[in-house]
Amino acid sequence: MSAIPEKIEFTVGPALTLHDKIDRFKSNFMLGLCIAFAASVLFLLLLVVSFLVYQGATSLSWDFFTKPPSGDPHAPGGMLHAIVGTCTLISMASVIGIPVGMLAGVYLSEYDVESKLAGPVRFVSDVLAGVPSIVVGILGYELLVRPIGNYNAWAGALALAFIMIPIVARTTEEMLRLVPQSYREASIALGANKAKTILQVVIPSATGSIVTGIMLAIARIAGETAPLIFTTLGSRLIPFYADPKSGFELSHWRDLNQPFPSLTKQVYDYATGPYHEQKNVAMAGILTLIVLIFLVNISIRLVARRK
Amino acid sequence: MSESLPTTQPGPEQTGPAMSFDFKARSTGISGDTVLAFVTRASALSVVLMIAALLIVLTTAAIPAVRTFGLKFLTGTEWRSNTLEQPRRDANNKLMFDADGEQIVDTIEPVFGALPVIWGTACTSVIALAFAIPLSFGTALFLIRVAPAVLVGPVSFMVEFLAAIPSIAYGIWGLFVFGPFMQKYLEPWLNGLFGSVPGLGFMHFNGATTGRDMLCGGLLLGIMIIPIITAISRDVLTGVPRAQVEGTTALGATWWQSSKEMLKFSRSGLFGAVMLGLARAAGETMAITMVIGNNNQISPSPFAPAQSMASLLANEFAEASGDLQRSALIEVALILLLMSLVFNVVARKLVVGKDSRSAAAH
Repeated sequence: MSAIPEKIEFTVGPALTLHDKIDRFKSNFMLGLCIAFAASVLFLLLLVVSFLVYQGATSLSWDFFTKPPSGDPHAPGGMLHAIVGTCTLISMASVIGIPVGMLAGVYLSEYDVESKLAGPVRFVSDVLAGVPSIVVGILGYELLVRPIGNYNAWAGALALAFIMIPIVARTTEEMLRLVPQSYREASIALGANKAKTILQVVIPSATGSIVTGIMLAIARIAGETAPLIFTTLGSRLIPFYADPKSGFELSHWRDLNQPFPSLTKQVYDYATGPYHEQKNVAMAGILTLIVLIFLVNISIRLVARRK
Repeated sequence: MSESLPTTQPGPEQTGPAMSFDFKARSTGISGDTVLAFVTRASALSVVLMIAALLIVLTTAAIPAVRTFGLKFLTGTEWRSNTLEQPRRDANNKLMFDADGEQIVDTIEPVFGALPVIWGTACTSVIALAFAIPLSFGTALFLIRVAPAVLVGPVSFMVEFLAAIPSIAYGIWGLFVFGPFMQKYLEPWLNGLFGSVPGLGFMHFNGATTGRDMLCGGLLLGIMIIPIITAISRDVLTGVPRAQVEGTTALGATWWQSSKEMLKFSRSGLFGAVMLGLARAAGETMAITMVIGNNNQISPSPFAPAQSMASLLANEFAEASGDLQRSALIEVALILLLMSLVFNVVARKLVVGKDSRSAAAH
């Protein structure tokens, strides 16, 4: 019997040249660089979010949500006015934004072939989504502030709706396209006309996704400041609020014709002001916004995963 | 059936309808079909009307400024909204007096030149892109080629969360954390570096660096546009055919060599991603207003306070004195709008197919 060698050596191919060694080194270096870059991006995110969360959490209090701003800059009170203001502006913007956006999305996905309108509409809605929001604010100023004569909530709502409509249209269209063709065919086979098919079969089967698209749009406009700077200007008074005894009264709808508060504008005013107590309240406001947006993003992910 | 799996949307050629059946209303009079068709078409038309309204309103409002300044608006370096009163001096620099013995005073009208803000926007955008592109491409490559499957979801969620943070939050972080950090640690060192290196002397800033300057603004913008460029690059790089990548590996390429081939293959899509990031950077207002220094001057140093078009609008529009200043500001807004439209259109043409819709979604 011949001795079996302890260790069998293999040689595979030619030996590595210097060129190969340089290439390998370069490749490992770039690989490490990519990992480092990804890690730094996450690190930056951590930096930003942790600062905002920490500062906001230390200034958050129940007063923040329930009290109006006091006159004293060293004890600024709460942001009830700003929260009411932002909710009102979002509702007003959604009243125009959601229907128009959804119907445009329905058009783009269901009524494509008969007209030459769909191509330009899709193109325009994509391009419109990239317009700087401050330019939209100027449009709101020119259209609704100058004729009325003073800053008001209508112009702010218009600017926000302007931003909202392309987003809602696009996401609605994409979600409706995901509905299987067989649903529509089954509905037609059962004798429904196009309108009934769309309204009672296609849209309801995509409701969850459309709602998440709308929530995304709402989260986006909730965080917008630039369009509100010179359409609503911001104020320190709670809208629709008469006094502590009578509370909120819709008869004060004329407050809509006056400068209107909003969370983002108020945060901007406080943060760029000279008083650091105000700055703390601003951080609490930012935290509220971030938590809201985080919740929307998480729920979108959960809904998407369930589908 | 031709369709077996739901797709996100048809590919570039087949922009067919989701429903291809021809419906005719069966009852007389106005049926639900006609109403819905009309209403949806009206909504779609209104989207087109929106952009038309934007362009028309801004152009009409900017006409007075265009008529007053013409092309000098784009090349003028002075932005002054008040009327200057200057006593007139003669050739020997002595004050001149008229027949009654009173000083002759020249009133110099307000002049608006947009070059400082164009410079500010351009510089901050370039700095932002220089900072963001390596980081974004690296992250995209990491997500596609390096990350284990379990990491891809959380990491991309976090990158998208970075995109969802409102810009005013970034502005506040820049104002209270990033600006002071740059002012205390990074900028004095960099400024000294520029001062000592022979060729870079023009970038040296004579004075104490404040942390409210183009460098700070540019870097903050860079952080903000990283998620956009990452997301679109990822979509674009995912579209590279596996055969391409596997072919390079079969030829003996290292990891970086095949990644380079991936990047080269999708370079038009990546360029589109960069354009979209540029569009966002140019139009970003709230974050940059807080860290750019708000000084309408042109300076070659990145440590000089400056003004970008968006921050000019944010600062001056609400307090514009007089029609001419407002008109000049609207002309700046028009320039900003046209710039962002051009970037968006170019980007959309470059990032083709499925990616173009999701690209614009960012």
